[in-house]
Amino acid sequence: MAHQAHAMLYSVDPSPSPLTGAVAALLMTSGLAISMHFHTTTLMSLGLVLLLLTMYQSSRDIIREGTFQGHHTPPVQKGLRYGMILFITSEVFFFLGFFSAFYHSSLAPTPELGGCSPPTGITTLNPFEVPLLNTAVLLASGVTVTSAHHSIMEGQRKQAIQSLTLTILLGFYFTALQAMEYYEAPFTIADGVYGSTFFVATGFHGLHVIIGSTFFAICLLRQAQYHFTSDHHFGFEAAASYSHSCLMSYDSSFTSLFTDEAS
Amino acid sequence: MAAFGRFSQMLLRSSLTQTRRQLSAAAGHGGDSAKTWKILSFVVALPGVAVCMLNTFLKEQEHSHDAPPEFVPYTHLRIRTKRFPWGDGNKTLFHNSHVNALPDGYEGHD
Repeated sequence: MAHQAHAMLYSVDPSPSPLTGAVAALLMTSGLAISMHFHTTTLMSLGLVLLLLTMYQSSRDIIREGTFQGHHTPPVQKGLRYGMILFITSEVFFFLGFFSAFYHSSLAPTPELGGCSPPTGITTLNPFEVPLLNTAVLLASGVTVTSAHHSIMEGQRKQAIQSLTLTILLGFYFTALQAMEYYEAPFTIADGVYGSTFFVATGFHGLHVIIGSTFFAICLLRQAQYHFTSDHHFGFEAAASYSHSCLMSYDSSFTSLFTDEAS
Repeated sequence: MAAFGRFSQMLLRSSLTQTRRQLSAAAGHGGDSAKTWKILSFVVALPGVAVCMLNTFLKEQEHSHDAPPEFVPYTHLRIRTKRFPWGDGNKTLFHNSHVNALPDGYEGHD
């Protein structure tokens, strides 16, 4: 039994990506700290370059081993699914930390803030203007990505490309709207704990939308090059799951961070 | 959170037949789901975005004549414990002089 299981499973060849990725993370974080004390961005930029190289190489490698070498058998795919589920779960907890920070400070506001939430002097954003539009954009992208998924499953190549393109465009639109909101907001990151929690939470969320759009862009290139079949397209499903979780995180932000009064 | 659990279950068990079975319940026709979702995209999702765009545009027009809020030098806002590592060290990354006051007040009384 054990022999059969090993014969079916694929062991990856040694790859430098875990090391380069870890080193990139180290250089970026320590580089960020260095940039704040010594006014030099060299270390952080080096880390960023290494991160981009790692992203490029590791995704190229996994596409080679799956699509071109045929190593992604059903048990291997299952492992990849487990991996993605675990990763997304960890991201959910990452965001829960920031929501917890917001609620910690807003549910029992200190006297220094005026004893109220939002703090005295903060002009909040109207949730029914741009935030509502942003929610609609992300929800629409959820519909278009589902449309793309079904098109892939039914072997409809052109429809899949169209829906996937539309999904990416909606992601870009969200990012553009959010950047505009950041510029037009009457409060800044330096405006006490309200500003800090707001911009850190929405900032990380925006970064995740950009990551999701990038992931989908790769999927679009792959779909155009016939990598996906109607029953094997895990890369696409991984991108869709990641983006769906991003969307849910924004919906939670919408109901908590953007409202005029803490619940 | 329940939705998340359900979603990750679906992702795990997702083989073609199972997905079709699960989705035929939602779509009504097993092989027609792509068409259904395409219709949803163009009839519900994108018009929904268009409506929200119109709403935002109209609301922005209403507010465009409002003056920025009066400046009160609260100590819990506009915190400058340390200079920012760019420019003159006093402006945030997305500083907008029309709506963001500096610790001493609005610049140039815009």
